[in-house]
Amino acid sequence: MTAFRNHLGFLRKTDDLESLERPESPSPQVVAAEALRANGPALQFTTDGSSLGLASGVYGGVDQLQRRDRCPWTRLGIGLGVDRDPAYVDVLEALLALGRRLDERDVTYVARAASTTDLNVRDLEFPTPPDETWPRFTLGVLSVGADEGSYWAPIHGTVIDDRTLRARVPGAITDRLEQGDAVSVALGVPSEALAATYLLAVTDRLSTPIEDRGVGAAVPVVPTAGGVVPSSAEVVLETTVADQQPETRSEKREFWERLVDGTTLTLEVDDVFARDDAVVPFTPLGVPLSDDLLLVTLATAATLFDRVNSYWGVSPVEWLLLPVEGRLGICFVATETLYAGFEWQLANFLFSLSDCFDKVVVVDGETSPRNFGRVLGDIWVKAHPSRDWLFSEPNAPSARMPTYHSEGDTGARLYVDATWDPRWDDEYIAPRVSVTDSYPPEIRDAVFESWADLGFESDLEGDL
Amino acid sequence: MSDRVAARTFREFLDVLEEGDETNRVADEISWDLEASAITMLANELDDRIPVFERVESAVDGARLVGDPYRGPRRRPWDRFARALGLDAGLSGPAYYEAVIDRLRSPHEPTVVEASAAPCKEVVRTGDAASLLEFPWPYIHQGDGGRYANLATLVAPDPDGDWENWSHHRAMIHAASQASVLFLAGEQVPNLYYYEYERRDEPMPVALAIGAGPAVEAASRMWIPVGRSEAAFAGGLQDAPVELVECETNDLHVPASAEVVVEGRVLPNERLDEGPFGDYFGYMNGPRRSMPVLEVDAITHRRSPYLPFCVEGSGVGYSRNSSSTFQTAASGPDATLGLRAAGFDVEMAVPWDFTSRIVWVIATERSYPGTLHELANFIFTTWGMLHIDFFVFVDADVNPLDPRAVLEAIALHADPDRDFHQFGVERMPKVPLNIYQTPDEKGSATVGTSKSKTAKAYVDALSDGSRPVQTIGDRTERERARELLAEAGVDEAIFDHHAGGDR
Repeated sequence: MTAFRNHLGFLRKTDDLESLERPESPSPQVVAAEALRANGPALQFTTDGSSLGLASGVYGGVDQLQRRDRCPWTRLGIGLGVDRDPAYVDVLEALLALGRRLDERDVTYVARAASTTDLNVRDLEFPTPPDETWPRFTLGVLSVGADEGSYWAPIHGTVIDDRTLRARVPGAITDRLEQGDAVSVALGVPSEALAATYLLAVTDRLSTPIEDRGVGAAVPVVPTAGGVVPSSAEVVLETTVADQQPETRSEKREFWERLVDGTTLTLEVDDVFARDDAVVPFTPLGVPLSDDLLLVTLATAATLFDRVNSYWGVSPVEWLLLPVEGRLGICFVATETLYAGFEWQLANFLFSLSDCFDKVVVVDGETSPRNFGRVLGDIWVKAHPSRDWLFSEPNAPSARMPTYHSEGDTGARLYVDATWDPRWDDEYIAPRVSVTDSYPPEIRDAVFESWADLGFESDLEGDL
Repeated sequence: MSDRVAARTFREFLDVLEEGDETNRVADEISWDLEASAITMLANELDDRIPVFERVESAVDGARLVGDPYRGPRRRPWDRFARALGLDAGLSGPAYYEAVIDRLRSPHEPTVVEASAAPCKEVVRTGDAASLLEFPWPYIHQGDGGRYANLATLVAPDPDGDWENWSHHRAMIHAASQASVLFLAGEQVPNLYYYEYERRDEPMPVALAIGAGPAVEAASRMWIPVGRSEAAFAGGLQDAPVELVECETNDLHVPASAEVVVEGRVLPNERLDEGPFGDYFGYMNGPRRSMPVLEVDAITHRRSPYLPFCVEGSGVGYSRNSSSTFQTAASGPDATLGLRAAGFDVEMAVPWDFTSRIVWVIATERSYPGTLHELANFIFTTWGMLHIDFFVFVDADVNPLDPRAVLEAIALHADPDRDFHQFGVERMPKVPLNIYQTPDEKGSATVGTSKSKTAKAYVDALSDGSRPVQTIGDRTERERARELLAEAGVDEAIFDHHAGGDR
């Protein structure tokens, strides 16, 4: 388990986090959004201690449309303790493990790192996005306590006044709440806690206490007035469900609300706990590559990857990617083609498992998920324009992420078969042009060995 | 307006690269037999400097190889071209396109110089003294059918124009005086050969100009309308006339500054094997085909000539090479201008970053019902007929040079029911280079198209006004945000066109 501040430290050590003073203007959300637009580093906004430290882009923050030494899953993988250069599938497996049900609880209780303060919630000075009135918090974990354990759910919202939060939470969690109930909000939690919370929310698994999930054994917790929260949380707000729950519809949404119903919850903040020099993550909402979107894409991809590899008695799928750039509107899956027609079966199985997308691209398993650029070429090169772009009749349930459907519409589904036809003789299979495939080993090795002596400067590490 | 004079020769182009510390002059002796291309492919993959191989095994007359000299930087592939053409440094992608379009709108007719003033005549060999085998043509990929001259401008007669026709065709070296040239029916010069010269049983005079400079190379890859001259458009690109000189053994004119000129004739009714070759798809294509024969009559060259070559197939995915850069930096602006000239309301037409000859992205308005169909029909039946399989249409305010915005548009706005349009299913001509066709479908047809027909498609990824938010804050706030990031040590280079989808 990596405390949030240690996660920032690891990002700094890998040269993937830059610090700057928290500006008065423009809003940190604008700065964060510009860094995301440019595939920039994660950011830490420092203060003189009078307000909350902020960090953005700490889970995702980059796309895969250029070769980079970081991938969309790198920062989260570091936070999950997978590796400093984590493999994609290892990150998916780590996520899945956090959501798995345990046969036996193994909870570690550790004292709360945050201290009591005399601050009110407005004193924390969450940043206010442009064109908005109230300070906004994002990427939080709501904890609801019960006799059998605690339930966690994603929470984000605005600070209305000194004591009042108007928050968005999954509708499913409010079934457990009544006016006057104590609930807690934790910000700046370990990656395991935040990622697991998103995973459980978007897979509609909020009805099991977190103590019975992998995350309950992975993250040390501490009891609060609400449920348990991660002990290392930077900020903990102990709150009460307000008597008045005004009906509102205009709040901005985090991306998980595209998959599960959310509802507005008004909370009265009773106590604020904060660590010294507390720093919490935030993300601008709605913009490309935002962290809420990244967490949802990885959680959904992990779930689908698990389902398709648990179905046929074998695990043919090498990886499954919902590129954050596509906002869950398109799915890429790399697989072994078990038999002729398998790609049809796989694509349509995915359509039946998820109603997010209506486009699936199937590629050969040999391509690394890091080499997404190659995939973005192969779609058009290996797939025949008429035979391998296959459309269903337009009477399927419409996908929810694309913009072209109205409620109640039906739609068509498309899968692109960019794999080699298993019926083809080997002689039909065109060899790939690459450093590995186009040169005999003795030449390749000699070039690698003499690379620097020849006067070149770039690193030879990474996928070629 | 330009800051400086354009690089008009290949050597001046190398000087531009040298000024930017973008070449690596390799002093060790290197073999033309896979070694030079392996080094070049690795440099392409790693976005490293351009290799100039000063000492090449078995080279005569001090000939040197240059690996993918026109390859642009990964992030801003047009950058070196912009500097070579004397355009302002640091232009955004869309601004670069407009600057090149302006140049193309002002062609300069070429001038003809005496042989004594033509660097390409420093060494002249004719008849039996002219041997292709004296040059260190590279063997580029394991499995290629032979050694190739593949970064060359083929000069051929133009019965409809004042000057010759320039185009880009690779040549596979067979012997001292023979090479096979890849002539695909449907392109202008191959059509002239197959349907005029060969039918008359006449050899077609040609010249291969190697190392003729950026504007000449770029123009030879553009789709110039019949009756117009590539030489004049090359002059427009470099904002100065191209100097030409007459060939030794035929009436053609060639760029006077070329490093090497191979003069000869494409013989009628004779064929030699061509391929397999690691092609622009990023795969080896095969099987061998029969292609027309270039019979060499003379070779003229500069002393210690440079032989630029392209590691074809390495300009896919994340990597770039000369071919993919020409597509983005030359063919894109040319196509944009061509579509506008044809009356289409097109903001930009740009090759897809990851496979630049198969897919193009066009930013446009839906001006009237059927606009996109009409655009696709126009392109698929003219310059896009052979190589392009797909068009993706995006909103006019999407920057097609930003693949993030394009991928988002495909994912969110292209409805499988209504927005994917297969075109001429199994009715369209196609080059026999595709890897999705079986060898039987590719055939070995004498005019160089596939034996079987194929299909094309276009994708309507226009948003109908429902594009997700791309930025927050107003322009001033965003600029200030980028300043703050730069002050914090964030590399300012990241704020280029990839920093956002909006043009």
